[in-house]
Amino acid sequence: MKPAVIVLFCLCFSVASAARNDAPKFYDDDPLIVEPITQDASGAVEREIDLFFDLLMNTFALDRTPVDVVRAQNVNTIDEVPDSGWFTNRVLKRAITPDELTMGPARAGDGPAEGPWVIVAAKSAGAAPGFTVRDAEGETWFIQFDSPGYGEAATGAVVVANRLFHAIGYWQVDQYISVLRPERLTIGETARMRRPSGEKTRMTKDDLAAIFANADRRQDGSYRIVAARAVPGRTLGGFAYSGTRSDDPNDIVPHEHRRELRALKVFGAWANLVDLKAGNTLDTVITENGRSHIRHYLQDVGSGFGIGANGPHRWDEGFEYLYEGDKVWKRAVSFGFYRQPWQSADYYEFDSIGRFESDVFDPRTWKSRVPMAAELHARDDDAFWAARRVMAFTDEMIRAIVHTGQYSDAAAEAHLAKTLIGRKQKILQAYLPAINPITDPALTGGTLTFGNAAVEAGVATAPRGYSARWFRFDNRSRASSSIGETTADAARIAAPGGLPSAAGTFIKVDVSAIDPPHESWKRPVSMYFRQTDGGWKLVGLERMP
Amino acid sequence: MRALSRITARWPLGALSGALVLAASVTASAQENRADVVADEQRQKAGTLTPWTPGRVESMVIKLKQDLIDSPSGVYPTFDSVYSGGGFTLGAGYRQYYTPTTFWNVKGMYSFKGYNLIEGSTTSQGWLGGRLDWTAYGGRRDATEVEYYGLGNDTAGGDVPTFRMTQLYIGASTEYRPVRWLRATGDAAYESYEDEPEDLTSFAPGASANPDFLHLRGGLAYDSRRSPGYTRTGGMYGATLHAYIDQDDGTHSFERLDLDAVQHIPIGRETWAISLRGRVQTTLGDDDVPYFLMPSVGGGHSLRGYSSFRWREPHTLLTSAEWRWFPNLEGIDMALFADAGKVAPELDGLDFKDMHTDYGIGFRMHGLLSTPLRVDFARGSEGWHLNFAGSAAF
Repeated sequence: MKPAVIVLFCLCFSVASAARNDAPKFYDDDPLIVEPITQDASGAVEREIDLFFDLLMNTFALDRTPVDVVRAQNVNTIDEVPDSGWFTNRVLKRAITPDELTMGPARAGDGPAEGPWVIVAAKSAGAAPGFTVRDAEGETWFIQFDSPGYGEAATGAVVVANRLFHAIGYWQVDQYISVLRPERLTIGETARMRRPSGEKTRMTKDDLAAIFANADRRQDGSYRIVAARAVPGRTLGGFAYSGTRSDDPNDIVPHEHRRELRALKVFGAWANLVDLKAGNTLDTVITENGRSHIRHYLQDVGSGFGIGANGPHRWDEGFEYLYEGDKVWKRAVSFGFYRQPWQSADYYEFDSIGRFESDVFDPRTWKSRVPMAAELHARDDDAFWAARRVMAFTDEMIRAIVHTGQYSDAAAEAHLAKTLIGRKQKILQAYLPAINPITDPALTGGTLTFGNAAVEAGVATAPRGYSARWFRFDNRSRASSSIGETTADAARIAAPGGLPSAAGTFIKVDVSAIDPPHESWKRPVSMYFRQTDGGWKLVGLERMP
Repeated sequence: MRALSRITARWPLGALSGALVLAASVTASAQENRADVVADEQRQKAGTLTPWTPGRVESMVIKLKQDLIDSPSGVYPTFDSVYSGGGFTLGAGYRQYYTPTTFWNVKGMYSFKGYNLIEGSTTSQGWLGGRLDWTAYGGRRDATEVEYYGLGNDTAGGDVPTFRMTQLYIGASTEYRPVRWLRATGDAAYESYEDEPEDLTSFAPGASANPDFLHLRGGLAYDSRRSPGYTRTGGMYGATLHAYIDQDDGTHSFERLDLDAVQHIPIGRETWAISLRGRVQTTLGDDDVPYFLMPSVGGGHSLRGYSSFRWREPHTLLTSAEWRWFPNLEGIDMALFADAGKVAPELDGLDFKDMHTDYGIGFRMHGLLSTPLRVDFARGSEGWHLNFAGSAAF
């Protein structure tokens, strides 16, 4: 390296370091509750992520045990995920009305209009039969069927998962279960089918017959369908689970470091959403308040529970990746006697639910079909964040969501709900006690109160007590000086004397458990409060810095 | 919220640009609120936007996929067989669609033993609502050194003389699937054979007759397999009738009935599968079948521990069983297998006495619907045989 370059580098670094020291730890607007979107993204262009390449890379090139796992980079200062074009906090943050829970992104009574439907396009991707129609009111809908012999399965799974992931907070497509009578359909002039030559030619009645031949036909000749409303805005194709979009100025956090994407390791495990590929996501450019920005949909969450578009999941789905080298050779040399949990899981198979169970299920070892970068980067704090949201779904809420699948077999519906509840419990057991589970701290009237998510969920016993170490905190220098230590045998600790009282001053409190049932609870959660006119305001929370 | 951009450029330019980015970022962090810090990062990125472009590896993979899968027109490699016993075969073809569902195709193949084939065809798919396909074809096959052990179920092994057989053929075939599980096939071809039996030491009916046949074939099968190319479940039960009509004086005309039964039985959630096959080929009546068209057992799709066409007679019986396990459900199979078969001059000779047997182990790489590579290592009473194939055993 040339000396001049070294000098310039050192100079820049010195300037940077000096400036860095001036940056406060907390700003006045911390914690952000909405991720800022400041730049116009109207120049973003459609990008087709090649599914074959995506599959190859994720299967064979992705580091399955990344060593550079860092804290999620889109969390705010209190370790929460701000609302954004990726995620909207719903469950846990606020009460969700029964209507909102069961309608999800759909609008009450607002499915496809009755009357003739015109097929305007063939289905361009995915294994399930389907096409795009325009209804009598000119609205565009994507139609998806159940596969033969598995009536209500794919359509039910799509809608139940759609409501579930919407309640969690992901952007979801507006979807309805409906009934299609073939006589309502006409083939529009724009509908094209891809032929073996690769050419696209006009869809014919034979094509339509072939689509219906791959769909589950009901006794009255009709077909149960899911109708998905075309999303608003200009579509850009799917998003990748790593890196950022090079054409989106607002996309500055690598996707593998977005907590809501890492958390799919937990939510995916809960719903057995095995097909977490880029092809099941969708970016759109929408314009709001005169500015274009990108919204990121988990577009297709229908591969969940025990069934996919073409029938029940493979036996090993959710348990193994598509390819795991060590298991290949172990099975090869053992003549198949190298056993795995999926081989002995006790499935209650309903044709409309598929292979979905909670007894052998282990959320920590659950796997999507193909490794996905964001879930591989998930840490215990990401999983804890997700588990709290799973915890927020009561059994009644889960049953209400499952009911939206409109299963005609009550036993199948009950099984799905029961399994989801069972898997929820496994998730809470796995992730809530794994790190110090202190939540929702508040400092009022000289008393610090907080919750313990693991204890509240009934998956851990309460510790003998809690210890709080109190500090004055300098927001500029980031230095802290001790005020004292207090303890209590419950989640309610009195502050020591001598807390600063001037507006704008900060304190830091490190809270850990005394004689906890889990060693990890001895690691303190650091809380930061700022004195405001209304009292102490929580501005920072560090669970795993 | 993230404050700094990730530095990934190369050293030393990377270090330099990294420091500059750091300086710029921290300057931004002198803002008075978090939203401004984020806005500053977004503003910086806005000045460096680029449309997405695939990297070199991605471009290469996409191009390969487009050439070989997405755009079926063009040159393609083939590892098909020229003729049983030809050994490892390489070849290439060129396919061109001239309607959205119809293509013409030429291919040439050459095997390690010098067997070669050139063939032209045109195929149309998806008629009658996707239920009917047809193909018209013509070509020349040259099997240069086919082993001939003579007729009978007890012929001696070891070094045997060979003959050369060339076949010119032109014909058309069709397959109709009225329902998912029923398959009807038909074929009509003009086939002209020439053989060079000079080295043969055993009786060889029809030697040097060089017959021309109108070969008619009709078949019907119940087929519940996922695909004939690869499956772990389902079965196929079918019958195919062949009529070879001698176009000279009728001397060598004959008819043959093939009965096939295949069943795959998954065990333990497809941890294993038992695959069973039974096949009977029987020549109808007292017809005089040329030796090179005589039903036979032996070879990679038959008795895998023996040479191709090891035993020939007008009637054959073949049974196979495989114990399969799946190191990877999506792509790798292994199997322990055993075959037993015999030939007989009369149909009532097809009993289970004096069966020739073999056993072995196999490794297969497969896709959802096909088996591009099958390696079976089999031992019969005459030693080990290594079989390579580009299709399922049965």
